[in-house]
Amino acid sequence: MENKEDTLFIRLIPYIDRYGILLLIAIMLLILHLLQPDVFFSWRNITNIFKQISWQSMLALGVFMVIVTAGIDLSVGSILMLSLMALAIASRAGLPWQIVIFVAPAVGMVCGMINGLGITILRMPHPFIMTLGTLYIFRGVGNLISGGVPIGGFADQLRSIGSGKIRLEWLYGEGATQYIPSSLIIIIIIFFIFWIFLNQTKIGKWIYAIGGNPEAARAAGINVNRILILVYTLCGFLSGIGALILAGRTGSAYPNAGLQSELDAIAAVIIGGASFFGGRGTVLGVFAGVFIMGLLRNGLNLMNVSVFWQQVLIGSIIILAVYIDVLRRQFGTRK
Amino acid sequence: MKLFVSLITALSVLFSFSAFSKTILVSTKGPGSGNPFWAAVEQGAKDAAAELGVDLVILSPPQESDVMAQVNQLEDQIAKGVDGIAVAPTDPSAVAPILDEAIAAGIPVVYIDTNGINEGVTFIGTNNINGAKLAADYICGKVPKGSDVAILQGMITQTTGQHRAEGSHKGLTECGLNIVAELPANWDTAQGMSVMEDIITGNPNIKAVFASNDNMALGAWEALESAGMTDVVLVGFDANPDAAASVAAGKMSATVAQFSYNMGKYGVENALKLANGESIPDNIDTGTVLVTKENAADFM
Repeated sequence: MENKEDTLFIRLIPYIDRYGILLLIAIMLLILHLLQPDVFFSWRNITNIFKQISWQSMLALGVFMVIVTAGIDLSVGSILMLSLMALAIASRAGLPWQIVIFVAPAVGMVCGMINGLGITILRMPHPFIMTLGTLYIFRGVGNLISGGVPIGGFADQLRSIGSGKIRLEWLYGEGATQYIPSSLIIIIIIFFIFWIFLNQTKIGKWIYAIGGNPEAARAAGINVNRILILVYTLCGFLSGIGALILAGRTGSAYPNAGLQSELDAIAAVIIGGASFFGGRGTVLGVFAGVFIMGLLRNGLNLMNVSVFWQQVLIGSIIILAVYIDVLRRQFGTRK
Repeated sequence: MKLFVSLITALSVLFSFSAFSKTILVSTKGPGSGNPFWAAVEQGAKDAAAELGVDLVILSPPQESDVMAQVNQLEDQIAKGVDGIAVAPTDPSAVAPILDEAIAAGIPVVYIDTNGINEGVTFIGTNNINGAKLAADYICGKVPKGSDVAILQGMITQTTGQHRAEGSHKGLTECGLNIVAELPANWDTAQGMSVMEDIITGNPNIKAVFASNDNMALGAWEALESAGMTDVVLVGFDANPDAAASVAAGKMSATVAQFSYNMGKYGVENALKLANGESIPDNIDTGTVLVTKENAADFM
């Protein structure tokens, strides 16, 4: 990143590189505020955005780690659905909520581990194939165990994870309606933990190393297979957490849960600036990517814009984000 | 980015509201473009809104399976502040919490097309018992008393499937027909065909068949045709374009159309009534109509 050339623009590049996405968010916030001055910055709307992105952000974070290793996980939406169904069945069977709460993350971890083992032990030519297979398998199993019908009726304690409200009466006075969604607190904590894990621990650095240059990583004595299994397992775990949040949000385990959400997760990671070829990307970027997609959908919903436009715009933003990345790399190689 | 800004501005101007009239949100399961059923719902809602001077917001998820998109849209619109909601739930249990929140916040809700699980919410949609009875009565007029007839049932775990089975059974027995088979084929064309083949094998004298939806009826037609039994009176349900074409071509005898237009129309009317503090009945039938060769062209 060091540049001897003294033009202002070149010196700005590292900052745009690092904080450009925050600038994009700021611009979007401003536009949405100008277009919907009464509604957009209302407490209720802002909390809505965070509630809406909460479960998807878990999938995106998981997929991000996988993408950092130059892999891909197409099965996260199906893992979410299977975890959700397992949770619902455990709940219906009358297990106490203290146990049910662990069902979704545990099932998610097992699914993720299956992906990891398949990729490493079965030596699949690319994670795309293993996780494409499990995309079908996990959703199929979810439908098998649930009979393909929605299952509802969860304990309040269980639902409070996804739909709980931390009232701010101490701040706004008695009877205040402002609150912080508990799901927001959970995703902040989890993002923080994974930020530390990826940036401050040895294993975190190995994960980046594997994606950047697997041969070098092997030569350096890193057990690549073991790290990969860990990464896919954690990705599954996060999908399970996503299921837990979604269970609270909807109060129902339904057969179409998480359908195609793997694509949203991948899109958020790419928008957030991670490289599809591995080794590059930040946790903050993932959050920003998820947030941008949430903002866009929320803003267009508020303006009653057809969902078809939402599809077009999200697709355009993906291409734009990657094109910016291409330009950036050109600058990088020119120096 | 400039293009984006101007696009968004243009759209927001296009969709901006006048300040004084009430705003009603109609949330459907799928976009009207591409699905005539929802297009008719939207048209009904628009006509009612124009007549009543209501500001109308119509939103739908990109496809029926995208449950969370509908939940998010409802949430965003409630935050924005609408005066009433008419919603066709993609998944009744998943949209229930957000609608409870709306009701608690004083925003009245009515269900259209598909009933929900929230207590005390009015359902505006097809009375499937009456609709199936209509089909049965048509069959009664076409075949002699005492003839062998069969019913292809839908997914019998679903209310719609149960109601259509119930209405057709009642109608066919009341006019003295002999029901020789009542079997589920789960709304599916391929299953409709194979179940029909089995029924034909066991009951070669069959004179009429009621299939609880058009997909099964189209499957049943294939089975009847290959058995050379094209004179059997075959009636479906839903009046989807393929079935209407089949009726027009003289293959299927009839099908039953739902008035999805009325779902949009009554939805807006009744959500507005609630918003104005009036009370409405718990169930509102949007009606059904028989589609035969005479009017099949309207449904193709």
